[in-house]
Amino acid sequence: MARRIKVVIAKLGLDIHWRGVYLVAQFLKEAGMDVVYLGNKFPAEIVEAAIEEDADVVGLSSLCGNHLTLGPIVVEMLKKKGLNNVKVFMGGVMPPEDAKKLEKEYGITKVYLPDTPMQVIIDGITESMQGTA
Amino acid sequence: MSEKKDEATCFFSEEHIKRIREQYDDWFHNCLRDADRQMEGKVFTHSGIPVKLIYTPADVKDVRYLEDIGFSGRPPYVRGIYPNMYRGRLFTVRQLAGLGAPEDCNRRVRYLMDHGATGINILLDLPTIRGYNSDDPEAEGNVGKCGAAVDSIWDMDAYLEGIDLGAVSTSIVTHLPSTSLVIPGMYFSIAEERGIQWNQLAGTCQNDFIMETCVGSGYEILPPSVSFRMQCDVVEWICKNVPRWNPISFNGYNLREAGTDAIAEVGIAIANAVATSEELIKRGMNFDDFAPRMSFFWDLHNDFFEEIAKCRASRKVWYKIAKERFGAQSAKSMLMRYHVQTAGVTLPATEPHNNIARSALQGLAAVLGGCQSLHVDSYDEAYSAPTEEAALVSLRTQQIIQAETGVVNTVDPLAGSYYVEYLTEEMVKRISNYTKRIEDMGGLVSAVENGWLHREIANYNNEYQKKIENGEMKIASVNFMRDEMAEVTPIKVFEYPETYSRQKAKLERLRKERNDQKVKESLNILRQKCHSHENLYPYCLDAVKNLVTLGEIEELFREEYGLWSFPLL
Amino acid sequence: MQEIDKLIKESLNGEKRSTARLISMVERGNENAPYILKKIFPFSGKAYYIGVTGPPGAGKSTTVDRLIARFCKNNYSVGVIAVDPSSPFSGGALLGDRVRMHVQQEKMDVFIRSMSTDRVMGGLSRTTKEASRILDASGKQIIIIETAGVGQSELDVAEATDTVLVILTPESGDSIQIMKAGLMEIADIFVVNKADRPGAKDISLSIQGMLDRSLRKREWIPPIFMTSASTNVGIDALYEGVWNHSRYLKQGSHLEERRKAQLKLELRARIENEFSHILWQDIVAEKNVDKVVEEIWSRSIDPQNAARKMAMELIEEVVLKWGKNLCQ
Repeated sequence: MARRIKVVIAKLGLDIHWRGVYLVAQFLKEAGMDVVYLGNKFPAEIVEAAIEEDADVVGLSSLCGNHLTLGPIVVEMLKKKGLNNVKVFMGGVMPPEDAKKLEKEYGITKVYLPDTPMQVIIDGITESMQGTA
Repeated sequence: MSEKKDEATCFFSEEHIKRIREQYDDWFHNCLRDADRQMEGKVFTHSGIPVKLIYTPADVKDVRYLEDIGFSGRPPYVRGIYPNMYRGRLFTVRQLAGLGAPEDCNRRVRYLMDHGATGINILLDLPTIRGYNSDDPEAEGNVGKCGAAVDSIWDMDAYLEGIDLGAVSTSIVTHLPSTSLVIPGMYFSIAEERGIQWNQLAGTCQNDFIMETCVGSGYEILPPSVSFRMQCDVVEWICKNVPRWNPISFNGYNLREAGTDAIAEVGIAIANAVATSEELIKRGMNFDDFAPRMSFFWDLHNDFFEEIAKCRASRKVWYKIAKERFGAQSAKSMLMRYHVQTAGVTLPATEPHNNIARSALQGLAAVLGGCQSLHVDSYDEAYSAPTEEAALVSLRTQQIIQAETGVVNTVDPLAGSYYVEYLTEEMVKRISNYTKRIEDMGGLVSAVENGWLHREIANYNNEYQKKIENGEMKIASVNFMRDEMAEVTPIKVFEYPETYSRQKAKLERLRKERNDQKVKESLNILRQKCHSHENLYPYCLDAVKNLVTLGEIEELFREEYGLWSFPLL
Repeated sequence: MQEIDKLIKESLNGEKRSTARLISMVERGNENAPYILKKIFPFSGKAYYIGVTGPPGAGKSTTVDRLIARFCKNNYSVGVIAVDPSSPFSGGALLGDRVRMHVQQEKMDVFIRSMSTDRVMGGLSRTTKEASRILDASGKQIIIIETAGVGQSELDVAEATDTVLVILTPESGDSIQIMKAGLMEIADIFVVNKADRPGAKDISLSIQGMLDRSLRKREWIPPIFMTSASTNVGIDALYEGVWNHSRYLKQGSHLEERRKAQLKLELRARIENEFSHILWQDIVAEKNVDKVVEEIWSRSIDPQNAARKMAMELIEEVVLKWGKNLCQ
């Protein structure tokens, strides 16, 4: 991968917990990625940013229960706008069944639950880019 | 340290200390192995205080019992704020209850009270916490999750149905000053309607500007100076009008969870208390008018003895500030009353039943530290707000500590432990220095505005994460004794999906039934007062009585005061 | 070429996704970049460029957000490029200016793009100008370039925009004292943000004093605006101030002169870049630079003369090579 991976990261909706997502953003930067941090944004704004930034990856952070409602909306909207190659990852707190559901039924590439080592996330994102551009 | 040593109040005589020291040296050089000696200076508490292999009286030789430790209920309050502590009044078992629509919460509250809970803790859902109505677009996906949806006074009424407000102590976890201006007002209004005098009401609201501007990120955040002004408005008005209500709970817990150590947790909360006190004094109040109503909220983390020492130390630091800095006359102003919650951030998702053990140990530390009320986290912390089953386990944990262990039979049982007394003194020093540092920087509001506090948190998290990833910090089942083949335990989660539709319908009805003229007037007056120096509370109270919704009031604040972002990136 | 042509056509029509992709290609030095720039350049030059610079924490992003709102309210379409420093170690970057920008998609025609400085020790990346031209060509009427606010960023942004806003705060006192001559020289407008804080008046007087004492003859005296961007105070006046400067530039030939001077600087820089590119890529790779370093180390030659000698040798070589090509 000669070129840098472009990641757009947002806190989903009103979610207040920023320690994890900020850590991930920093670690991804140290792994050589360009990370656009949006702060708290809703699906429409997240997708607009993904378009403007020509993102390879969208990362969503959700610890307050809106993962099944707002998360899939982001995937939907990306598809509608023709961004079929953008990979969507989620991180946060949710029951493992919800995480599986998001991955299997709602098009989320991978959900990272608490205590996932940073390297696993970095590798996951990097690997998802193989086979594209 | 101490000036002239008063032999009469030190634990041990000079001669005795000398002999102990000699024995220690002998033990250190002749009894320990090389490896043990090498480790000295390499072991620390979580917040970085060095921990020796053994503590002896020599380590606390300058601690004077009467002056530095004293008795419970007497300065410097290290041993507890009340003379009889738990024999007189057990710590309040206050477990959180808030999920879904107010009607659902009402059921959970009554369930807990039937099973022995003695106080109500009202958790609010995220849109309510951040000042949005359930039918605002920003509320999407979060209505009724992790807390109760409260849009108007009608919701508060439903929440409190069948509960005798004159007989309970209620904590309304409003977090932000901007919502503390509004939601407790709903509670007070309802009490009034039910014929209960305001001077009978007991409870707390959180009201911490650090929550608004630092601890939690947000879609729309008010500027720190505005949030701080609102915080002071709430304290001022409630002190004058609802005398038994604690209008502020300086929140060390959420700050700690966001990413700080024990020293910063207490240091910042106390710096906040100092800034608030100064502002209120500027407004013409006396320290003794409001200080007795200030309370604190601590996190109970993993380092067992450090956390106990933190609790003891914080009482002493506050006492000194109240007395020496603010000249407190009333004993009540010098007492640090605090609620404790065990640390959610220490409860991983893997092997969740281990968390019962973790929380129990933390709960024990909280009691040994002398808290006034306690919430023990549930084992499913990493997944969601507590399910009924998990909430019951937490409740029982507290009751076991209270009734079966005997630790409540005597005051401050660990006093006199050489290690604990050393730690306590050390923490008093460090916390005081931390607080002073913030003041030297221009005060806490300033430190927040220029991003200092956010950077402290971000740096702490960075280091903590690195320590976990390189194994320096061990967490069982996560990076230590990790069972790679373990199946993830299925956890039951409660959902109340109809909350949104119920709230929406209620809001539609409310908008039809209320008097539009009165709504308009209340909002207009409030808008003007935003730019005055007047206390905003009475105008918010009027508005909620006229059925103005929370979202409408908060939106007005955003329009009048503008928005702010973390000065981090 | 067909795919690229399609993208270019769509972008010139204002389509967001194609514009974003073109910017990416140019940013990454994709092989199609020269072609893209060739094609879109004729369509650029219509937008008005505003540069925003200042020390970190001054409130640049917040001010940009407020200005965007005003431009949109007056029905202008806006393109924004927000530049943040990249890590010199990993090459990655944490781009956080969008946090402070709130765009209501339905009502506002805005395109925001974050870029890193891409290891350049300055405020703008090599490709910022090119990206801004793509936005220009796609139809944006106002282009705002917000710099990283560190290093020599101030000079960079002055070379890429028509109006430069320098944003300071009451805490900027020390950095002015350190006489960052660059800042004073390039500002078309000064903004003292967070003006509700103590010391705001002092900074303002400080700036005024420096302007008064400046020996340079200025036709345009930079005004000083006091703002509190987070509470939206003073922004209307600032907005008017920007228009004022643009009106001044459009009088006579000021704007044209300024832009031509910038193009000249750009041309020179690019020519140097071309040479340096060829030099290090094609030619010097063959030369034994390490050998010369050893000679310098042993004191048999000094660095300046060693360089001169090498340069002369290289020029001879180039002439020989060209000569050969011409003859063939």
